Amino acid sequence: MSYTVIFFLVLYYVVVIGIGYWALRRGSGDSLEDYLLGGRQVGPLTTALTLQSTSMSGYMFLGAGGLGYLQGYWALWFAAGDIGGGVLNMSIIGRRMRKMSQMMGALTSIEYLEKRYPSPAVRLVAGLLTVFLLGFYVVAQLIAGGKGMALVTGIPYPAALAIAVGIILIYTFMGGYLAVAYTDFFQSLIMLVGVMWIMIASLTELGGLTAANNAIGEIDPTLLSVWGRGLGFEGQWGVVAGALLIFSVGYMGWPHVVTRHMAMSQPATARKAGVWATVWNLFFVPAPYLVGILAILILPNLDDPEMAIFQVADKLLPAAVTGLVMAAIMAAIMSTADSLLLQTGSIASRDLYERFINPNASEKQMVFVSRGLVLAIAVIGYAVALVEPPSVFSIVIFATSVLGSAFLPAYVCAVWWSKANTPGALASIVVGASVAFIWQYAGLVDSTQLHPMLTGVVSSSVTMFVVSLATQKISPVPEYVLDAMQVTTTVGPIPGRFLTATEFGLTQEAAAIDKALDGDASDG
Amino acid sequence: MFGLPIATALLVFGFPVFWILYTIVFLIVTRDWVKDSAAADDAQ
Repeated sequence: MSYTVIFFLVLYYVVVIGIGYWALRRGSGDSLEDYLLGGRQVGPLTTALTLQSTSMSGYMFLGAGGLGYLQGYWALWFAAGDIGGGVLNMSIIGRRMRKMSQMMGALTSIEYLEKRYPSPAVRLVAGLLTVFLLGFYVVAQLIAGGKGMALVTGIPYPAALAIAVGIILIYTFMGGYLAVAYTDFFQSLIMLVGVMWIMIASLTELGGLTAANNAIGEIDPTLLSVWGRGLGFEGQWGVVAGALLIFSVGYMGWPHVVTRHMAMSQPATARKAGVWATVWNLFFVPAPYLVGILAILILPNLDDPEMAIFQVADKLLPAAVTGLVMAAIMAAIMSTADSLLLQTGSIASRDLYERFINPNASEKQMVFVSRGLVLAIAVIGYAVALVEPPSVFSIVIFATSVLGSAFLPAYVCAVWWSKANTPGALASIVVGASVAFIWQYAGLVDSTQLHPMLTGVVSSSVTMFVVSLATQKISPVPEYVLDAMQVTTTVGPIPGRFLTATEFGLTQEAAAIDKALDGDASDG
Repeated sequence: MFGLPIATALLVFGFPVFWILYTIVFLIVTRDWVKDSAAADDAQ
């Protein structure tokens, strides 16, 4: 056990909790909108960095490194799409979703779907699916945190896991979205410094990139190819397309990520946020994959490839720097886990509990219920991570593939296609999730050489178009939704009638939707 | 380049260049988005 490493970790935790406390002092827990969306006051840099650090989970330090170690440069297909994920998100749905969500008074990404596609079924199906998948995703982060801390500090895995979960809970409880956003900002910087440091140390150790590549080529030249070890993926363009899609366009289907759009201070915040996201991604995203590839030379006999980055840090860096890198790894894990916990709690409380169980819940009650659910999910996640820890890579790929496949067309068409209606969205969510899930677990990836993300997105998109067009007459898009879409499309002011509408409480809004479903809706 | 086959070099360096260009074009074509912000402030 290195006390220097532990010192840096403790220092990191103290700073993170301090930021959470500062967010609390800013009054981020006063109302439900403050708690869930930080009062819609988050600027471009913080938006970009919370978007990216939430998307870049413990996967980047375990799964990405492990993939590079096993498959060589083939792993870079994932990074190639990932670099543009942030700017794609901001350019395609960022501004429009921010504007639309404000006009509709939506506070969660699932509530937003119900208001765009008016039907309680949309909210119920989307809410249940999201809570299940994000819960799964949380478990992957907890496992990553526990394994990493246990390895580097020597603390037993159960205790390391408990510490990581405890810290996340403390600052998630402190200030809701604003605490998460500002701690993400700090953590994204730590992640960047940490990963760059370890990559530079690895390159220095090996005499530079060219020398390292030449050495890898001598071991196995196929590791330098774009088709993986032994050319195992040669010609499998379906798998390559899935690898490119999952972390590029896939982002737009992740409910915990698109919430960032809704919390932006202005619709135009998306513009600068997109630029910041690209800048951060260019430096951060390829590095973990490259370190994994370089670990082939540094640690040729590694038992667990997912531990490649941890082991390289442990071997090459002095204790103080290892502490910084360890903090970076924990930052990647925690910045995703806190967002997942907050979103899972929010969706479960607002979109399921309040909407379907207790419609008269007050805002204070909602915050209380959300925090209680966060605690419950963290405890269940801790138990699962302790008893049966599966592979981080497999969980993340499973959860993100199904999420992206299910929700991508629903979120994109919500602001871009006025014919996208309720039956189309509902069918698209169900078909996309089912196809991605079945493709993964029925072994269809090997037999068809198509990635579940690719088949999932294609099938959910086709379903959206076919079902929406087929049901236009029996289920037209309500006039007030079309009106909101028109305002969203236009660059200009949000009409006063929509700003007034956001003052409505949830119950009134839900009642308005029910009324609309009964055919009595009027504009706004 | 850097001891990599051409296809791999394109994967490693070509995609980042593409995303840089995409971001620059995005920044240029969305210059009018600021009207959204100013107008929203006025409306409130």
